[in-house]
Amino acid sequence: MAGETPLAELRGVWKTYGQEGGRELTVLKDVTLAIQPGEVVAVLGPSGCGKSTLLRIVTGLVPPTRGEVLCRGEPLAGLHPGAAIVFQSFALYPWLTVQQNVRIGLHGKGVPRDEADAQVRRVIDLVGLEGFEEAFPKELSGGMKQRVGIARALVRGPELLCMDEPFGSLDVLTAEALRSEVTKLWQRPDTGLKSVLLITHLIEEAVFLGDRIVVFGTNPGHIHKVVRNDLPYPREYGTKAFLRKVDEVHQVVTRLHLPDEPLVPAPEPPPDRPAPLPAVGMTQLTGLLEILADKGGQMDVFALDALTDYEFGQTIAVVKAGELLDLLDTPKNRVILTALGRAYVAGDPNARKRLLHGQLRELPTFRFVVGLLERAPEKRLSAAAIKEELAARLPPTEPIDRLFQTIVTWSRYAELFGYNATAEELYLDVEGAVAS
Amino acid sequence: MVFVRARSLLGRGPGKGETSAWVDVMVLLLLGAVLASFIAAGREWARPLAPQVVIDTSFAALPGYTLLSLCRGLLAYVLSLGFTLVYGTMAAHSRRAERVLIPVRDVLQSIPVLSFVPGLVLGLVALFPGSNAGLELACVLAIFTGQVWNMTFSYHASLRAIPRELNEVARLHGFGFRKRLLSLEIPSAMIGLVWNSMMSMAGGWFFLTVVESFRLGGQPYRLPGLGSYMAAAIEAGDRRAILGGATAMVLMIVLVDRLLWRPLIAWSERFKQEETGASERPSSFVYDVIRRSRILARVRRWLRRQGDAGTSATVEAAPRRALLRRIVARVVAAFAAGLVLWGGFRLALLLLSLKPGDWLGMARALGFTALRVAAAIALGALWAVPAGIAIGRSPRAARFLQPLIQVLASFPAPMVFPLVAPTLAAAGVGGNTVAIALMLLTTQWYILFNVVAGAAAVPHDLREVASVFGLRRPARFALLYLGAVFPYLATGVVTAAGGAWNASIVAEAVHYRGGEMRVDGVGALIASSFDQGNDAQLAAATVALAALLVVVNRFGWRRLYRLSDERFAMNR
Repeated sequence: MAGETPLAELRGVWKTYGQEGGRELTVLKDVTLAIQPGEVVAVLGPSGCGKSTLLRIVTGLVPPTRGEVLCRGEPLAGLHPGAAIVFQSFALYPWLTVQQNVRIGLHGKGVPRDEADAQVRRVIDLVGLEGFEEAFPKELSGGMKQRVGIARALVRGPELLCMDEPFGSLDVLTAEALRSEVTKLWQRPDTGLKSVLLITHLIEEAVFLGDRIVVFGTNPGHIHKVVRNDLPYPREYGTKAFLRKVDEVHQVVTRLHLPDEPLVPAPEPPPDRPAPLPAVGMTQLTGLLEILADKGGQMDVFALDALTDYEFGQTIAVVKAGELLDLLDTPKNRVILTALGRAYVAGDPNARKRLLHGQLRELPTFRFVVGLLERAPEKRLSAAAIKEELAARLPPTEPIDRLFQTIVTWSRYAELFGYNATAEELYLDVEGAVAS
Repeated sequence: MVFVRARSLLGRGPGKGETSAWVDVMVLLLLGAVLASFIAAGREWARPLAPQVVIDTSFAALPGYTLLSLCRGLLAYVLSLGFTLVYGTMAAHSRRAERVLIPVRDVLQSIPVLSFVPGLVLGLVALFPGSNAGLELACVLAIFTGQVWNMTFSYHASLRAIPRELNEVARLHGFGFRKRLLSLEIPSAMIGLVWNSMMSMAGGWFFLTVVESFRLGGQPYRLPGLGSYMAAAIEAGDRRAILGGATAMVLMIVLVDRLLWRPLIAWSERFKQEETGASERPSSFVYDVIRRSRILARVRRWLRRQGDAGTSATVEAAPRRALLRRIVARVVAAFAAGLVLWGGFRLALLLLSLKPGDWLGMARALGFTALRVAAAIALGALWAVPAGIAIGRSPRAARFLQPLIQVLASFPAPMVFPLVAPTLAAAGVGGNTVAIALMLLTTQWYILFNVVAGAAAVPHDLREVASVFGLRRPARFALLYLGAVFPYLATGVVTAAGGAWNASIVAEAVHYRGGEMRVDGVGALIASSFDQGNDAQLAAATVALAALLVVVNRFGWRRLYRLSDERFAMNR
């Protein structure tokens, strides 16, 4: 395999987008990745880590800001000729029938009419859509819609099938069924398919389908680690080997998001210098604390992840938030409820609010915002002003709008300061504002 | 305030949430201007009856005339709003009322403004003897008939579309009528109401020249305003004055858009029910400025308190009040029925006085006009669909051109007909072609406007499919854009057809200095019967036109909408 030219290759690819106010948002940082013939590459990462952008750069839909994109060893000009995409949202044209939608895949290929009809019939058969040729997408269930999406991609006879969270919009059972069908399709020799690039946020899905699992880190998106997966086909979820692999990937992911020691032993930050916060809601945190308390106050992080139905990475973000507020502690892979955390779970809503109020007052980011508000006239400040101040003190890659949203959500919950969405301003005097 | 000023001197403008004294000064000035205009308009009303004022066609007179017309339009709009709320609420709350009110609306909607004018003027002038108020009121009501239906339609549709759960919550919590209206129904309908108010206001200007200056039974009537200014300019063949009047019209449309509609649209955003994060939110500079006014903030707070105070009077809808309401409803219904009967009787008398030959001619005229309307729509779609898609595909072009097209669509095209028609006629163009060209001039903007909006709203992933599967231009147009803009095109075509039928009255018989261009058609028929005071023929032509439009509506447009809903709607 090593001797063959990769179907697609990225070398040192960066992608940045200009934002309002002249700030630049880096989505991808120095990504180098080659997709060899005959392999399934699964890119694993939480939402918003730039993995969908990666797929669009590979197919030529989006040009990189910096770096090289190669197609079979040649620099890619325009679209990758051998690639097809399956979309998470299915992206079917609602006014076309199943047959007409599938036929879109053959456009611009110069296939004669009769042959095109035959090919469309063949792939419709292949994905199990016989009898639905004349149906409109609206009449189909989610699973059937995605079959149309897959047929539309396959009818081109692509070498490289790019799948962007293909099962993300489906219910669990349908996703399961379609996943095995895709493996079978992929192993058939007559589809012409050589490789698959799968974008996913589910560890199990990556292990089930991927020969190589590319673990993506966030802010900005980058390749953290590549895990080989040589489990033989057909893979089964319950087997020991499978679970071991899932565990291995889990370890990698946890190390990435919850390092035991800070990667850089940073000097103690000044007490009111703003720092990024995990984008987590307080209800989520409360839910997780309660689960933890039910299970005796400590748990393995994977087991905890399995109990919550959050997206991959989200559990870890919630744990991080708890750690930040001293409600949780995370030695190695354990998650432990602190004394404060126990008090929080035991308290009634008002006690919880008070406790959180005290904790937020200690957090540098909140101290910073409170400081700003205290110096402002009438102790009110516009959202724009606060965002500006935050942006000036944080690395340029930090998404300020999201951080602001988190700050508002937390402080509303703890009644630290309030936010008037109509006037778009923060105010300190929570009691006074409610009273007037 | 010194603080804010100091900050802006330092190069950092005041943020969104801060107030400013300047804004208050501006708000007060604006309020003063509005008040002054209405006082000036009020003086017109109080004048003794003078059917025909002399119109000054100098530019200096233009601002005053424009303000007078604007006051009439705004007054008509307030009436339309009130009517809409009452009519829509009645239709939405009572099955029985709905069964009557909706067909009545469909018929009334298709009656051209001109057909209302004789009755309104004669009736109201008689009601206010010796005062100009009757004539003014007739004019306002004529503008009102051009505005109201659009809004009523939207409001009723919005009330019907209120999610069941929300209605159930209102019932469970014992919302009274007022609370239900203020906290559920109007907020749910707000976005549609604001957009349609904007369209309605534009529709009201359409016949401005006609409703401010007309002949009735040989007697010329003329009210001071922009419409009669244009009419006088046309009569005098004064091209400079015509262009000046048209410019004043455009300025008025743009100003009303910037000062009234844009802020309202930006404000009404908060009533959006679904949360769509990515799409661009409408913004308005004026709205952002107004929000910094302290006076308005006070007013807002006061209004909010009033709204809260209204919540307590709810559950105890006493049986006595229910009885009273039922009696009032009966009386209103009886009165309305009497009015309809009497009107029907008078109408029947009028219609019976016509000879069979007249009816035959009417059918022929309807056929001709229908063909012209169809031709105008087809020609309009032919260029506006590709152009609209091209504009809509480029976000920058759309952002830049959309407001421009909107102004063009709001501009009452009949105002410039007398400029265009002689030029075309001099070039040897036949009357039929001129009529179609004038209809096209009126209606193409509706198609363009809607298609641009549709092409701009094509979901990103559907466009990516077209790119990734290499759909080239013709295929991309046919498979992606034509389908994606279909619902918008349908709306555009239906609106355009309505506009074209209305325009036929001015397009099939164009008067200009030194000539007249007339072709056989129902529009020309209505216009000439109106001018000659031939009430029987005016009534007959109106009835025939309304009947045809109701049929087209039922069997044509409704089917088109259903197709667009079933096949082309984006809710995937």
